[in-house]
Amino acid sequence: MKDVSLIVKSFDKLGYIVDEELATVLYLVLELGKPLLLEGNPGVGKTEAASILAAYLKTDLIRLQCYEGLDVNSSVYEWNYQKQLLSIKLKEISAQSDSENAKNIFSKDFLLERPLLKAITSQSKSPVLLIDEIDRADEEFEAFLLELLSVFQISIPELGTITALHKPFVILTSNRTRNLSEALRRRCLYHWIDYPDFEKEVAIVKKHLPEIEDTILNDLLKFIHVIRTRHLEKGPGVSESIDWAESLVSLGIKKLSKENVDKTIGCVLKNSSDIQKIRLEGIEHLLAEQS
Amino acid sequence: MINVKFPHSSDHHNITGSILGFTEFIRSQNFNVGLDESNDALTVARDGFAREKLIFKYALKAIFSCSYDDSKLFDTLFEAYWGRHDHEKIELQKHPSTFNLKKSSENSLVLLDFAKHEDVGKNEAKSITGSSQIERLKSTDFSKISELEIDLFEELAEKLWKQISLRLKKRLKIGKKGRLNLRATIRGNVSNGGNMLDLKFQTRKKVKDRLIILLDVSGSMDKYSFFLLRFICALRNYFKDIEAFIFSTKLMRITNMLHNELLNDVIVSLSQSVDHWSGGTQIGNCLKSFNEEHSHYVLRGRTITIFLSDGLDTGETLLLEKEIQFIKQRTRKLIWLNPLKGSKDYQPLTKGMKTALPYIDTFSSAHNLNSIIELENILADV
Repeated sequence: MKDVSLIVKSFDKLGYIVDEELATVLYLVLELGKPLLLEGNPGVGKTEAASILAAYLKTDLIRLQCYEGLDVNSSVYEWNYQKQLLSIKLKEISAQSDSENAKNIFSKDFLLERPLLKAITSQSKSPVLLIDEIDRADEEFEAFLLELLSVFQISIPELGTITALHKPFVILTSNRTRNLSEALRRRCLYHWIDYPDFEKEVAIVKKHLPEIEDTILNDLLKFIHVIRTRHLEKGPGVSESIDWAESLVSLGIKKLSKENVDKTIGCVLKNSSDIQKIRLEGIEHLLAEQS
Repeated sequence: MINVKFPHSSDHHNITGSILGFTEFIRSQNFNVGLDESNDALTVARDGFAREKLIFKYALKAIFSCSYDDSKLFDTLFEAYWGRHDHEKIELQKHPSTFNLKKSSENSLVLLDFAKHEDVGKNEAKSITGSSQIERLKSTDFSKISELEIDLFEELAEKLWKQISLRLKKRLKIGKKGRLNLRATIRGNVSNGGNMLDLKFQTRKKVKDRLIILLDVSGSMDKYSFFLLRFICALRNYFKDIEAFIFSTKLMRITNMLHNELLNDVIVSLSQSVDHWSGGTQIGNCLKSFNEEHSHYVLRGRTITIFLSDGLDTGETLLLEKEIQFIKQRTRKLIWLNPLKGSKDYQPLTKGMKTALPYIDTFSSAHNLNSIIELENILADV
């Protein structure tokens, strides 16, 4: 399909190597207008996919970072209370009636738009709405999202219902720290981003770091692929590969040795028990295994 | 008219029928697929996706899959369906059971020897439903669940875990008045001209205790550990701050593996990687390594410690006493759940249990679903 290959090429130009499967799914997002739920291990490029999609569409990326306790005030809208109070005090001096007062202070001038409201009030074209790490948010918030994702409208009691002029392209990401509800999943297209294979990861790192030499790049990625097979608490993602490659290049390291790995292992593994586990198994042994 | 390259699907009518048939087929394989999904699939086929098999597969996969497990299974199902001739497809739609796919959950049963006769009575077990059967299963000892009932039992257990988790969460919402909520107060008093007549209070969020669970996976607990591990996973949904360990002759931290979706993989990988799984029990030694290596970061603040063990210990009693005393001093509540306590004649006479008993706040059974449900009340108060 021309459109799918166009996405592959365009994303490549924008610095994101996308395979045909993800490109097809992204095309469906644009075509069907359904939200996309992207799952995968941390650091495989879920968030990046959304930001590149926004760049590809030449539209805004509106990001909502989820966390435990995220509520409507932080995600949809909030009234600017200080401004409202000031306005009331000022109008007390002028002879304005109470009803006029109330009407004025609940207008859009006093409204603080949060990401979700911003996404549906976009005037020019459909933005990309990234709801990042939805698994961190509470179930109540997830239930609220269901309504928004079905009808793309938000009700503000004082203003009425606001319906999206341009339906945003919604991408939700999750690291699977908890189960998402079946209802939310069913409203979305689904795609699992796996760790890339060796060749793809070479291309990804090269895209970010064109100056890196092939020998060191191959060595470090082989090492990473070996340790991904171990049962680590947090295996290295693509972002760790890129970080490590950058570190090795900036340190001027041309060959991967036990000492070099030992010094820079913190770029790859972010957990002391994982580091300990790899050291116990023996870095030399792992380097030998890769070759 | 769509120029479909798939064999035997040369016109519009055929592709529509095939897609609907495929929808029916994967629904029979436990995919949660409804009318919306069928409609989307037809739309993409009409948009020309059906011209290329691979792209079509990717598109249907995104539409029909809802989870990681679905997406992993999808490729096999797609090939199984679209690789067939039309008459075979029709046969598959009519009799989806003729397509046998090994369920991922069966892997986990290897541990319990349930997978030995995988097809025996599977269908019979599924067909038995009704409240009496469910009630009976709730009170059946984990070790006595038969191969015939395992599917139904797992389904029931899954529902109960979810209910427990949900109920515990709901209880959190009932709270006393907490501190003043300035934002709500200002907003609520805008109509009073900014004069603070009605005060609004923030509901105090109950601070949950950290839950530490130590599960015995030694040989004597073999029949229970699988179910209890599932229970631990269910608790994780409620207690965000949970630390879990398994032990027999050695101790192992499994906190980061506690995802329901990955549970079966976890159990298989655990049984492969843990050389002491189904081995002997040295509780004292394991508690010693727990206290030395993990207690400094897990036994701080408000903690509840739960032991899931039968207390059959082959280690030193003195060591066990010393270590459990250490834990008792640093934890708010010590709960011991012993599956053997479910039997009528049980008395805690084993040396391990006798040693630990003076330090235990709650000693309860955990041999069937009903006893686990009772535990909900204990946990709701912590």
